[in-house]
Amino acid sequence: MKRTGVFVCHCGINIAGTVDVKKVAKELSRHPGVAHAEEYVYMCSDPGQNLITEAIKEKKLDNVVVACCSPTLHETTFRNTSKEAGLNEFQCEIANIREQCSWVHKDMEKATRKAIKITKSAVERVRRNESLEPISIPVTRRALVIGGGIAGIQSALDLANSGYEVVLVERSPSIGGHMIQLSETFPTLDCSQCILTPKMVEVSKHPKIKLLTYSEVQEISGYVGNFKVKILKKPTYVDPDKCTLCDECTKVCPVVVSNEFDIGLTGRRAIYIPFPQAIPATYTLDIKSCPGLLPIACGKCADVCEPEAIDYDMKPDIIEEDIGAIIVATGYDLYDKGLMAEYGYGKYLDVLDGLQFERLCSASGPTQGKIIRPSDHKEPKEVVFIQCVGSRDPELHCAYCSKICCMYTAKHAMLYKHHVPDGQAYIFYIDIRSGGKGYEEFVQRAVEEDGVLYLRGKVSKIFEDKGKIKVWGVDTLTGKDIEIDADMVVLATAMRPSQGAGELAKKLKIAMDKDGFLSEAHPKLRPVESVTPGMFLAGAAQAPKDIPEAVAQASGAAAKAVAILSQERLFHAPTVAQVNLNLCTGCGMCVEVCPYVSLSLKDGKVEVNEVLCEGCGTCSATCLRAAIQVKNLTPLQVHEMIDASLGGR
Amino acid sequence: MVNLEDLKKEAKRILEEGKIKYIIGYERSPNGMMSMPAFIKNPEDAERLTWDPSCVYNLTRFLVDEKRRKAKEKKPDTRPVAIVVKGCDSRAVVVLLQEKFINREDVYILGVSCEGAGVVDEKKLTEKLKGKKADKIEFSEKDHFLITSDGEKIKIPAQEILAERCLECRANFPVIYDEVLGEKVERRPEDPFKSIERIESLSKEERWAFWKEQLDKCIRCYACRSVCPMCYCDECVVDTISFAVAADTTAEEKAQKIKWIERSPDSSENFVYHLVRAIHLAGRCIDCGECERACPLDIPVRLLNKKLEKEAKELFDYEVGFDPEKPSLASSFKDDDPEDFIR
Ligand SMILES: Cc1cc2nc3c(=O)[nH]c(=O)nc-3n(C[C@H](O)[C@H](O)[C@H](O)COP(=O)(O)OP(=O)(O)OC[C@H]3O[C@@H](n4cnc5c(N)ncnc54)[C@H](O)[C@@H]3O)c2cc1C
Ligand code: SF4
Ligand code: SF4
Ligand code: SF4
Ligand code: SF4
Repeated sequence: MKRTGVFVCHCGINIAGTVDVKKVAKELSRHPGVAHAEEYVYMCSDPGQNLITEAIKEKKLDNVVVACCSPTLHETTFRNTSKEAGLNEFQCEIANIREQCSWVHKDMEKATRKAIKITKSAVERVRRNESLEPISIPVTRRALVIGGGIAGIQSALDLANSGYEVVLVERSPSIGGHMIQLSETFPTLDCSQCILTPKMVEVSKHPKIKLLTYSEVQEISGYVGNFKVKILKKPTYVDPDKCTLCDECTKVCPVVVSNEFDIGLTGRRAIYIPFPQAIPATYTLDIKSCPGLLPIACGKCADVCEPEAIDYDMKPDIIEEDIGAIIVATGYDLYDKGLMAEYGYGKYLDVLDGLQFERLCSASGPTQGKIIRPSDHKEPKEVVFIQCVGSRDPELHCAYCSKICCMYTAKHAMLYKHHVPDGQAYIFYIDIRSGGKGYEEFVQRAVEEDGVLYLRGKVSKIFEDKGKIKVWGVDTLTGKDIEIDADMVVLATAMRPSQGAGELAKKLKIAMDKDGFLSEAHPKLRPVESVTPGMFLAGAAQAPKDIPEAVAQASGAAAKAVAILSQERLFHAPTVAQVNLNLCTGCGMCVEVCPYVSLSLKDGKVEVNEVLCEGCGTCSATCLRAAIQVKNLTPLQVHEMIDASLGGR
Repeated sequence: MVNLEDLKKEAKRILEEGKIKYIIGYERSPNGMMSMPAFIKNPEDAERLTWDPSCVYNLTRFLVDEKRRKAKEKKPDTRPVAIVVKGCDSRAVVVLLQEKFINREDVYILGVSCEGAGVVDEKKLTEKLKGKKADKIEFSEKDHFLITSDGEKIKIPAQEILAERCLECRANFPVIYDEVLGEKVERRPEDPFKSIERIESLSKEERWAFWKEQLDKCIRCYACRSVCPMCYCDECVVDTISFAVAADTTAEEKAQKIKWIERSPDSSENFVYHLVRAIHLAGRCIDCGECERACPLDIPVRLLNKKLEKEAKELFDYEVGFDPEKPSLASSFKDDDPEDFIR
């Protein structure tokens, strides 16, 4: 019989406070096949690990069970210990007597009994473990960053500056994301474009960065270290190398459409440059607004383009890239205005959203930074800002807090006062959330120095009356009804995952939370990793956040990606699925359920791609015929474990 | 109404053409009221075929046997086998296709419509005839049966002697076929899950007592499994006797064949057998009722499957056996599943 060693950890009083660890060790020492059993206060400590090493050598153990905390914490520790002592690392198993026992029970006697059962079943399991070697796979040392907002830009630069090639995919004609639309940024009020454009230029000049704008990820396959990505590059119909930015084309283009960069406050032509500092610095012909190229319906732009940069025959391009790690930084969009009809957004010209107000304040904006009403171009003397529009409203809109609106609304009110010193700014709020370095001071400054009037309460009605926007609400602190004849209303609408993020997440097979933001692998300990190995998250795609946070997360994600790209080879756990071909009928049910797409049918039987398989066991649970099972957790092992815990052994 | 002559003509035609290996259909039984399975190879034998309300069997189980036989043959005849299916049976073909157990090109499906009726329940009929034997059972109009017994012709409303499952049937017309006979008649059951209502209304204790009494009777003859077209596993996880141990089976392989239950027919083992089987049929059972009909001890096994059919409908809006392209219940996954632990 194989010789098993059992090591019971006290975990201070975490386990020993509820489980009689001495008794567990004693009981186990009597269990058939257990050649050694002992307990110790902290098995994971150096002396604790030494006990294991010594026992393996002295008692000639074949395998080891450590009864301690969850395997997610110290399985690797003890497997390494066993390996150093000369065992195959898969001859070590964890019996979780903390999370699954001591932490969830109070009665010492019962908890001890349960701990004994858990440990015995682990002994039965490990006894039938196969010795396995990790599966080794090569690494493609290039990264893909999806989304060219500040988060994507930061990740791409960090990776490129660490020496790795980066493919940066941005779906709009220029990188920059939302930050390039902002005027000045809280809490320091520095000019957004001034601090962002140097980074954008660095991206465009960096020899290690391949920038693909007006492009989208179309298809992705493979696995960590070895992704294959197909990227669709839409035609811009303008050759950036030839374009001299003379702007002659826009002068002749007869089509005017709403300008997305100014969120509809201005118009643009069908051929356009999103903003003067756009990267890449070139024009784009928006085929959706152009009256047509097949056949050419207008052709004016090409006529005037002296360097002959305009090419109506440009075709979409599919670019295939081999990639080792992926960072998703697809950012956010503001809550659909169509859903905010109750505030008159989209109905009254002088009801704006936050980004529109940013454009009004921006020195490079449509008004060169003069705050005026879109309706009559008059300076507004009373402006009402409303926070939490669509946020924190689980019944009708989004349940979550968009986190940044308190801060940018304070900023907006402040900027307004700087532009219109004799005006009055009112802010309707539920409460003020100003956690962050210098943030609370910033809000105080708005109140004390700029005389912003904060009104705690909700707005009940907004309607237009004689050129004014009437805002009715209640001040919940005084209980008084409030009526303001405003000249302008600015809504701090909720932040949503950017449009199309869901489809992208499906392609990448990364999870989303209930609101559609991308899910991190662990809210505390793995905040920049997705659950899929080799894919990381950065910026507002993961949750509403401001620029400093987006940048920090972007650098974190880049560091995580480097941890993969810097390896010669990656190792994959060999505890993967295996098929009993005699029993498999080829029904394909397991193929359908495998969340890691590691199974396929071949000649009427199922086949496992060991590199993709994560050993989750979903296939085993689905197969009616027990034809597929995970190594070292076979039905026989499960049977023996059940038997042991029912007192069979 | 299906014209029997048309069926025979069609059968004869396909056999004569030689593209079909043989036909699985029904013929009159020389002794007994109910029709029995027929295997027709020669065109002239197509005459023997019948289709009437006594054709209760689900013949698709024979497709399973055919596949097994073919797998053993050195030079198998690869022509398709033709099979006569009612609406319910056709859903079994769909499941077999869905699970890739058979290929579409290996079957030639001769569908027959049950129209406004269905098939009879032998026990109900016997009761109705007060123990007399029926010599002939025919469809009459759209919702009556015409019974000939002792030379006397009696018309009985179908509702009174229909098989339980036919009263709850949602596929009185074949859902898949190469050739179909009879009309498509719109007929929706009042309550497709009526038969389990009574048990659902019982308390937990009463339900336990009911099933204990029923399952205690089970002698584990496995007839219910043997007639089931979906129980086509080579080795049934809840029947150690089915485990194949050959000369080259290694000790490790042998050890992996786990005896989850004992052969002995006592309460606990019987419960495990039936519950495992029910779970294995969830989202696969098409309610042909064969298990219950085959049971020599009159155990209402069908009810277990029916309950799971209802759960599948209510929890996942899943209906078995209508679309061979759809993933089966246990392997379907929706991104918008209301349970977020699944997403
Ligand atoms: C009104 C307002 C004022 C603000 N003011 C401040 C402030 O003063 N200070 C501050 O710190 N923060 C401020 N913010 C927050 C700031 O805008 C965000 O923190 C920051 O823009 C997040 O950057 P990001 O890169 O994560 O996302 P984004 O800026 O949204 O960038 C995402 C990029 O990804 C691209 N993309 C999206 N989907 C795809 C796809 N499928 N494929 C390819 N590319 C894709 C988009 O086109 C975009 O370029 C403000 C926000 C608002 C709404
Ligand atoms: S579920 Fe089982 S029988 Fe079906 S293909 Fe997978 S391993 Fe084979
Ligand atoms: S163990 Fe999980 S990942 Fe591996 S094949 Fe089975 S279902 Fe897929
Ligand atoms: S339920 Fe009936 S048919 Fe099935 S094994 Fe038991 S006795 Fe046999
Ligand atoms: S009960 Fe399950 S394992 Fe047994 S034959 Fe039926 S489907 Fe297969």
